[in-house]
Amino acid sequence: MTKTMQSDIKSLALLKNGQKAKIKKLHTKGKLLHKLLDMGFINNVEVEIIREAPLFDPMQLKLHNYHLSIRRSEAKLIEIEEVV
Amino acid sequence: MKKIKVALAGQPNCGKSTIFNLVSGIEQHIANYPGVTVDKKTGYFTYDKHRIEMVDLPGTYSFSSYSLEERVAKDFILDENPDVIVNVIDASNIKRNLYLTFQLLEIGKPVVVILNMMDVATRRGIKINSKKISEMLNCPVVEASGAKGLGAEDIMKCIVETSKNENNYNEFKINYDEFEHHIKNVESKISKTNALQNRRWLAIKALENDKTIVDRLKEDVIDIEELIKKEENSFHNNYDKDPASFLASYRYEAADIIFHKTIQETNKGKETLTDKADKIILNRYLAIPILIFFMFMVYQISIVWGYKLTDYTWPILASFKNFVIDILPEANFTDVPMITDFGIWMVNSANALMNYLPIFFILFALIAIMEDVGYMPRMAFILDRVFRRFGLHGQSTLPLVLGGAMVGGCAVPGVMSTKGIADERARMATIFSVPYMNCLAKVPFYTLLLGAFFKPDMAIMMFFISTITLFIAMIVAKFITSTILKTRETAPFLMELPPYHLPTFKGVIIRASQRVWIYIKKVVTIVLAVAIILFAMLQFPGLKEESKIEFENKSILALNNFDKKVKDSIYYEEINTKEEVIALLNYYDNYRAKRMTISSNEAAKALDGKFLIKNEPFFKYIKPKRDKEAKKINKALRDLSSKRKAILREMKNEKVENSLLGMTGRAIEPFSQFAGFDWKINVAFLSSFAARESAVATLGSLYENNKADNMRAEEAMALNSGYTPLHATAIIIFMILTPPCIATMIVVKMQTNSYKWMLFAIFFPIFLGITLASLIFTLGNTFDWSGFEAMSYFYISVVLTTIIIALFPQKNQNWNGGLKIKNKG
Repeated sequence: MTKTMQSDIKSLALLKNGQKAKIKKLHTKGKLLHKLLDMGFINNVEVEIIREAPLFDPMQLKLHNYHLSIRRSEAKLIEIEEVV
Repeated sequence: MKKIKVALAGQPNCGKSTIFNLVSGIEQHIANYPGVTVDKKTGYFTYDKHRIEMVDLPGTYSFSSYSLEERVAKDFILDENPDVIVNVIDASNIKRNLYLTFQLLEIGKPVVVILNMMDVATRRGIKINSKKISEMLNCPVVEASGAKGLGAEDIMKCIVETSKNENNYNEFKINYDEFEHHIKNVESKISKTNALQNRRWLAIKALENDKTIVDRLKEDVIDIEELIKKEENSFHNNYDKDPASFLASYRYEAADIIFHKTIQETNKGKETLTDKADKIILNRYLAIPILIFFMFMVYQISIVWGYKLTDYTWPILASFKNFVIDILPEANFTDVPMITDFGIWMVNSANALMNYLPIFFILFALIAIMEDVGYMPRMAFILDRVFRRFGLHGQSTLPLVLGGAMVGGCAVPGVMSTKGIADERARMATIFSVPYMNCLAKVPFYTLLLGAFFKPDMAIMMFFISTITLFIAMIVAKFITSTILKTRETAPFLMELPPYHLPTFKGVIIRASQRVWIYIKKVVTIVLAVAIILFAMLQFPGLKEESKIEFENKSILALNNFDKKVKDSIYYEEINTKEEVIALLNYYDNYRAKRMTISSNEAAKALDGKFLIKNEPFFKYIKPKRDKEAKKINKALRDLSSKRKAILREMKNEKVENSLLGMTGRAIEPFSQFAGFDWKINVAFLSSFAARESAVATLGSLYENNKADNMRAEEAMALNSGYTPLHATAIIIFMILTPPCIATMIVVKMQTNSYKWMLFAIFFPIFLGITLASLIFTLGNTFDWSGFEAMSYFYISVVLTTIIIALFPQKNQNWNGGLKIKNKG
């Protein structure tokens, strides 16, 4: 990825409660990539941030109509397009 | 009878276990998969002259090889070649569950789809056209509800019919468009392989870079890895996509098509009950208090109330003990046959463990309920942030609480409940941290020492002891995850928060019983083996000849004394031989022992009746009533009995001192002296390894004043041991750090599947304990600290260390990369 692109990239970790977004790209390889794919983080899928944990990390997401918790460190690797 | 082998597969939380319990009844077998700690559950049932063996595969979201569960599930399909694959689907969440279904269909085995939780789906207003799904997937679809007990007959019928039609089977294919020619390329290359499976599936898996499959194919097709790399690169160059993401997207798309054609959601967008409950249970301010409340309740119900329940179960164990004593040969005054000694020792050891069964059963049932309800992942969600700092996982909460985050838990269920932790490194770290928590059986030992040496500071010392364990567990977890466990596999923290479900009674009972049964089978047998070794080490080489003669003389003196006292009695005829006196004495002691376990009046009367029948003439001596002569004999008898006990105790002490265990205790004195431990403490620690409860008993008997006075154990210890409170502090520190007992260590072996780790779990804490105890003892001696000061300094240093570690940034992930810029565009 080029330098000019970087500043436009939004990661899932930046979203606030109640925000929705579409998955664009997964910036990871190997085990985490497979796990994310298996859990349904595929292109153009809509995710919604439901809430953060009481200690602000991890966060609770909704995608494919089910709920999932994910740490911010992993959410950072998921590129999104903001929808709402 | 024809045999059918069935693999039961499904995503986690789809209700697979309730379906398993529904069809397989109670004929189940639970074991570990060879080499790994994942449960292998096998159930059997018979239907229409077919014997069906159903293997419950671990719940997986997918059929890749990236987690232990997935590898186990796939190995089963590859090695065992089941006749039918049964795929359980959560009917209220079909779309995501179909992702796995597609992968199962691709394997090329007949698949039966079970739509479980139909009742939940209906309640949520989800209308499912299961006929249409069956047509679209070309496989039978059965509607069921494991929780409501519906559909068992249909499932069994469907499995049998599908297996009959095995050869009538059309290969299932997803059309992957632009990827197809890559699949064909690999497929043609692997046509020679000996594998039993469908070539197309193997090719697809190989292209997904699935390690298990690639490794297997390598045996027949040597250049498979280069081939895959080549195909992957060419696909990447042409379409700018990598195969894994592409295939996943395709499967989800396929699932989406089915979803849209067969399902109608009438209540779409409406808040579910789970959403509402989560608003409270996961609320930022309420979540932690609620979690603490739940943990407190689990602790209260199982440990506190469960312990009260043992008041009712203990008499059963005591009567078992009495029964054994009854059939063992009786003592000839102080000459106790070894078989009797051994029998009583073994029954005591077994009873100490059996006493925990009610507690464990309640505990395991509560865990099963929390698992079924869906609270476990939420607990991890709430506390992950705290535990992650120490290399643990949100899911470590429950094991630590059960181990004794409050005063007194038990490490056995604690270690057993680490099973579900997805992150291998955190799971191992949790297994090794739980034994540091406060074990219930250690509490009497602390009480003894505190009562003997810390009377004024008892409360604050108890506070130190009960809170320091958690800090120590955290430090140890951090230490081992950043050293010996550093290279262990970790897993991304991606956890489903499933909808809340009511647990089924049958499921909870089955699971709790299975876990208790495992405890009985593994733990009790091995602990009894250790008890035998300890017994031998305490018996041999036994008393010296001159002591034997000395005790013999004492016995004769006591008997003569008795004879003198009763000589002028009118009943003397009945008790004028040694045999008669001993028989009467045993009769008396026997009665006293049994009377002690009885509290109700009726039972006491029944006991009296029994003894009256057993030996009528003797009965008047144990219950003399108004008979003056008998009263006199009763008094002499009481005296003789306590003399016998004193001699036996003295003999026991001397025996312990001369025994192999005593010698071992002496042999390690050169090391343990730095911590201020003498051989007696060493022996107490050594002998308490089978069950911690016996530490108090051993110390008590070693320090008991040989005179038969009524001094309490703590007074005796404070007076007779020559220890200072500083000694006691060192002993307490060592006790805090040493592993609870052999039972825990066996559970560690079960959960890590390795003797090496079990030995580590034994010796690392002992090493740590002796080092810290020596350090504190030496420092305390040098600077003239009191025992209380020494404990306070130790406590403060441990807490500070924990805080410093918590402030350090953690690095516990084994992947990198990602987005570099954080600002919003």
